[in-house]
Amino acid sequence: MIDEIALTAYQCKKCGKLHYPFHDRCLECRGREFDKVKPQGNAKLLTYTAIFNLPWGFDQRFLIIGVAEFQNHVKAMGQIKAESTDKLKVGLAVKPSWEPIRVQNGEDVYGLKLEPM
Amino acid sequence: MPVDMELEMVLRPPQLPMVPYPPKVITLANGKRMVVRQAQREDVPAILKSVHPCLFIERDYYDIVSARLYGELLAWYRYRVKSEYCLLGQVDGYLVGIVNGRMETDKVGMSYHTLAIDRGLRIGSHLFAAKMEYHLEYLGQEDVLIVAESPIGFRRWMIEYPLEPTKIPHELGGGDSWRLTREIYFKAKPRLVVGDRPVPKPLMDEAVAEIKFADDDTIRERIAGLKGR
Amino acid sequence: MRDVAILGVGMLPFGRRDEDSLMDMLAYASLKALDDAGLGNDTVDAVYVANMGGGMLQHQASIASSLVDRLSLLPAAAETIENGPASGASAVKNGVLAIASGHYDTVLVAGGEKMREVTGWRATDFVASMTHPTAEYPYGITLPGMAGMFTRLYMEKHGVTREHLLAISLKNQEMGTRNPYAHVEMALDREGIFDSPHAVVNNPVSADPLHLYDLCPVSDGAAALVLCTVEAAKKRGKPYVVIAGFGQATDTHTLAERDDPTDLKAVSLAAQKAFAMAKLKPSDVHVAELHDAFTILEIAESEHVGFFKKGEGGKAAVAGKTRLGGQIPINLSGGLKARGHPVGATGVAQMVDIVWQLRHELPENRQVKNAQVGLTVNFGGFGNNVLCFILRRVEP
Repeated sequence: MIDEIALTAYQCKKCGKLHYPFHDRCLECRGREFDKVKPQGNAKLLTYTAIFNLPWGFDQRFLIIGVAEFQNHVKAMGQIKAESTDKLKVGLAVKPSWEPIRVQNGEDVYGLKLEPM
Repeated sequence: MPVDMELEMVLRPPQLPMVPYPPKVITLANGKRMVVRQAQREDVPAILKSVHPCLFIERDYYDIVSARLYGELLAWYRYRVKSEYCLLGQVDGYLVGIVNGRMETDKVGMSYHTLAIDRGLRIGSHLFAAKMEYHLEYLGQEDVLIVAESPIGFRRWMIEYPLEPTKIPHELGGGDSWRLTREIYFKAKPRLVVGDRPVPKPLMDEAVAEIKFADDDTIRERIAGLKGR
Repeated sequence: MRDVAILGVGMLPFGRRDEDSLMDMLAYASLKALDDAGLGNDTVDAVYVANMGGGMLQHQASIASSLVDRLSLLPAAAETIENGPASGASAVKNGVLAIASGHYDTVLVAGGEKMREVTGWRATDFVASMTHPTAEYPYGITLPGMAGMFTRLYMEKHGVTREHLLAISLKNQEMGTRNPYAHVEMALDREGIFDSPHAVVNNPVSADPLHLYDLCPVSDGAAALVLCTVEAAKKRGKPYVVIAGFGQATDTHTLAERDDPTDLKAVSLAAQKAFAMAKLKPSDVHVAELHDAFTILEIAESEHVGFFKKGEGGKAAVAGKTRLGGQIPINLSGGLKARGHPVGATGVAQMVDIVWQLRHELPENRQVKNAQVGLTVNFGGFGNNVLCFILRRVEP
């Protein structure tokens, strides 16, 4: 597990709109200059699902994936650390971490994981 | 063919006692009701008539599964295998699926094969679950060893239960076996094992009266035709 | 801009077509459309081929060039069009603009996909390749997963229930049994997939809260149509179909960046543009083919194009308003749900079915009586690239 959430959001210098992932031009004002922003704090679940037919490259029975919004309003997709969706709900507080999310070409790929608090 | 019973006593393997499988009925996705019941030895020639056309269907490994199943059922019929059983799925009396296996010891079962003759209805899933139910809830076993020839089998069993990998070799020389333990089974049971008992009398009578089988062309079309889901 | 008509249509039964290669399917469907168009041995000016997976699954590029060669349509102009699941409608759009501009007179549009030659895991991965490469794809997200997340929100916001989704499954699978071109010709039983405790095995959760029978199958297939000028269509002396209007719109790639993910802006905007161009409104439509890769999408699209208010689409389906004989029959072909979803072929196949409806050529158990106006929605990505077409019958 890596300490820092290695995900960069981009805030438009002109109008302040926050973007993740990267856009070369601002979605709101088409500006081209951005401040880099790291996601801050914990997050809340915006939506989630348990997926039972996984793509090639995953050996587990299912994966729980969701979209969460950080305290500083960065929004991103992540894998949720839960045994089932039973205790999950929209709005649930989750603790983010940066961990291996899959293996590709024999190597760990890191990404966002969310743990219900 | 005349059989020398004295010689048979030498050639026949011993059989472990097996309580009969209590039949059950399952409602399928199309609303039809499938009776799941245990076959008797005398049923084998009729069952083989449905397995036969599958021997020549390459799609989804039907050929190898059918070929191995054919041999296993024949071995059971001719008293050349230890403690084998066979469960059937019938809809309106028609044979729609066959599963078989055997007791390796009183505690360890060996799952043989699963053949679904009608597709798109999870018949294979239901019948496989029925045989696991038989091993673990009726035959009093602790573990069942399982292998899969087809990716569909792999998905439905190794991934969906899920099963434990082992280094125990496959009986016929294939890939290593996987294991279903009582613990995994009971945890998976609510979502994988269903059925109502007892079977309503008219349905049971219909199933027992005659094992109907579709003609070769229909079977081929259902398994390997255009509409495969 | 000239008006554009549809001179001929053709499609193959969708399903698991192990014996046919991708090029075989595209060729056979194209020949059916060319014959239906009465072109005999004539050629066309341009060919557009819709396909998403040829490069990834069949390791084949430049499919349109290959089709032109196969059908001896040289020296026609040709391009392969890739827009995910909306490739079909995109290819038709390009064909329409080619004729409307005055530059070409006769255009063949074909769409095809061969998805069943790989295992389910690889097909799922192929479809997932349309999600965002760094922010979504690596997580193992699948299109059903996107739909599951969307459905959860749509249920919370608009009160859609599993009963509403069930109404769509049952309707579309029933219609599939009436369509010889449909992949799945099996009527579902409510008890077997919903009411009975056995439904947990028959209809398992696939991408919670969506279940197996909320999803379309993975299919092989192809469909084609021949576009022409109105003059050419008139010459045949019988009723013909024109492209009355079309619209296309895009939205953010990731679900996370949509302010309200339940608001399918691209669907609404594409439909508004189509209606504006056709000078028609939703209540003028007699029959529709909506993109029901997931049952929730039929409900959501029926609301976003304007057939029903937000929150009413599911109830309308349960009340039978979208069945044959209802207020606005939707997916009488069986939809993607039962007709199948060979990705590149779908957008074209939707229009083939609408053309049959508007020509009044279908058997009674599928035909909307006196259908004059039809609408299609072809939904690319997860709603980030959507096309809407409105077709109209013209008496000669």
